[in-house]
Amino acid sequence: MYLILEAIYHDFKKFPKKYANFKVNFSNITDCNKNQKGEYMRKLATLATSVALLASVSVAKEIKVGAVMPMSGPLAAYGQVTYEGIEFAHKLQPTLKNGDTIKLVLVDNKGDKVETATATTRLISSDKVTAILGALTSTNTAQTIAIADKKKIPVIASVATNDKLTMKRTFANRVCFMDSFQGEVVANYALKDLGLKTAVVIVDQAQVYSLGLAKAFQKAFKKGGGKIVKKIKITSGDKDFKAVVSQIKSANPDFMFLPLYHPEASMIARQSKQIGLNKPMFSGDGVANQVFIDLGGKAVEGYMFTDFFDYSAPPTQKSKDFIAAYAKDTGKKELASFTALGADTYFLLVDAMNRCADPSDSICVNEQIKATKGFEGVSGIINMDKSGNATRSAVIKVIKDGKAVYKTTVNP
Amino acid sequence: MNFLEFMQQMVNGFSLGSMYALIAIGYTMVYGVLRLINFAHGDIMMVGAFLGYFGMAVLDLPFVAAVVLSVVGSALLGMLTDKVAYRPLREAPKISLLITAIGISFFLENIFNVIFGGTSKPFPVPAYMEEIVNIGGLTLPASALMVPAVTLVLLGAILWVLYKTKYGMAIRALAFDVNTVNLMGIDANKIIMIVFGMGSALAAIGGIFWAVNYPSVEPMMGVLIGLKAFAAAVVGGIGSVGGAVIGGFIIGFTEVVVVAFLPEYGGYKDAFAFVLLILVLLFKPTGILGINFDKSRF
Repeated sequence: MYLILEAIYHDFKKFPKKYANFKVNFSNITDCNKNQKGEYMRKLATLATSVALLASVSVAKEIKVGAVMPMSGPLAAYGQVTYEGIEFAHKLQPTLKNGDTIKLVLVDNKGDKVETATATTRLISSDKVTAILGALTSTNTAQTIAIADKKKIPVIASVATNDKLTMKRTFANRVCFMDSFQGEVVANYALKDLGLKTAVVIVDQAQVYSLGLAKAFQKAFKKGGGKIVKKIKITSGDKDFKAVVSQIKSANPDFMFLPLYHPEASMIARQSKQIGLNKPMFSGDGVANQVFIDLGGKAVEGYMFTDFFDYSAPPTQKSKDFIAAYAKDTGKKELASFTALGADTYFLLVDAMNRCADPSDSICVNEQIKATKGFEGVSGIINMDKSGNATRSAVIKVIKDGKAVYKTTVNP
Repeated sequence: MNFLEFMQQMVNGFSLGSMYALIAIGYTMVYGVLRLINFAHGDIMMVGAFLGYFGMAVLDLPFVAAVVLSVVGSALLGMLTDKVAYRPLREAPKISLLITAIGISFFLENIFNVIFGGTSKPFPVPAYMEEIVNIGGLTLPASALMVPAVTLVLLGAILWVLYKTKYGMAIRALAFDVNTVNLMGIDANKIIMIVFGMGSALAAIGGIFWAVNYPSVEPMMGVLIGLKAFAAAVVGGIGSVGGAVIGGFIIGFTEVVVVAFLPEYGGYKDAFAFVLLILVLLFKPTGILGINFDKSRF
């Protein structure tokens, strides 16, 4: 009965005009003859049936979840890979515990800041989504978060690692690690496992990601007893790094840390080899893709970088199952780490929704996301904290024969 | 900084400057005959690099054949843009020509974005270009020596064409006064087309060199490089071929020196290059080798 009343209420809200007319007619019943009255009763009965029908549909609600991803433009390669994970996770688990179905609404942000803002606004105001997954890079995700935070819609970022992203934002969450952790991982691994004591850092001053990661690395490296012999600034879009690598050659460090994206990192690797600079090179997750290896060619052999996940060393039972299902469905054995993280944003959201009485209550969902502990994700065990950051493991990979090969896992 | 690093940096500057020079020559020559700043020139360079990539990676041609394909293709494209976009506007105000040039530039960038996609493509550099040469402690790839050498040879060739051939004489006359040249029975349109062809061919070589040195090609690569080559042409004195080469070397060296001596400000090397442009224009508005704009060029 409650449901019927609720349905009438909803219906009433939707079609106030229709009801207004009905009411007017209804008030006239008293001075109508019997025939007419009977007609009204019949109408009422029809209405009741249709209401009951409506109610039966609304038992299993449809909850909309938005995804903002660069499906075209310069970042398309990553956006598509990440969305593949979200989509596949949705295919595996399209309903909630209470029977509600989830509908994904994807909007392409073309890798652009302004498009991201438009896409986010559209998802919230016209599609009325409960939560948003996205928007890949730190810069674009910051846009999505800024808008969603005001409207109290939780955002789960897949691979945006910048430290500041979740600061002072109640509705910002992520399943990846932060740059401060990534920087520490590289610093400790270089110092303790590889015994490298001096480093040159090349920073891309136009990228928030690069500045944050470089800072975190320097702090951890100095703390561990290492020495930064030189810090060189570049700007993304540069192609000529001969002057940069010539300097590094005479500075003669033990290794180079390049917290850059793949276009610049690959060019530096190539130009280093051209002048006979053969020092170990290390990057963050910004080079974790095949394009980097294609662009770098032979020059990136032995190049090391941090990543979130490797399919050859599945960290949980869920990863094993997911990889198996993914292989069965697509025929691809190699699950990209971005795909795994994309899937985890979705699984984590579903997990949080299941713990809410009303899964479409975005405030409750946000609270539950932040309360997630020991979550078994595809990319590993994820613990969320109050600020929406994830504590999780990192993996270190090395490029061998044109392939990124798993080296070790670092736990927080 | 030791002597060896200094020498290494000088070679870097020489090699980078040569590439800017090759592209700057095209700007200067077109400006000379048409008084048009051909903003599509940087994109012609991009097309040159892409044709080289296409020839080697898709058609599986040897390097030299791919270069020929690229040079011929770009020259034809340059002449085509002149015929399709600029010739109908010969009598129109100069500003219309300029806007058309920007339109062509956007068109080329986007059509290549559609065909090849926005992600960088690895350029297949032939092994002998990447071979490391050791000269008295300096380690250089062969391409670092080849680029300046080819640039100087091409500069010689261009100057020979300009000063020793009939066509060169026509080009110089055209730069002096278009109407009189027409009256003298010279087909000005044909000469302008030749200038576009020559400029675009040089841009294609510049593009190939760029791709060999920095082996990734993408549709937007021509924008910043084109802008800097344009700055080089202006610094050297737009309209003067020798000036374009000098300007190219100045811009190239500035960038290298900024990174080498002020590594903390290395990210601002483009800003330094453009500040230099402003300074030169403040003290010598016509550029280093620039002559009075009402008189002859070249």
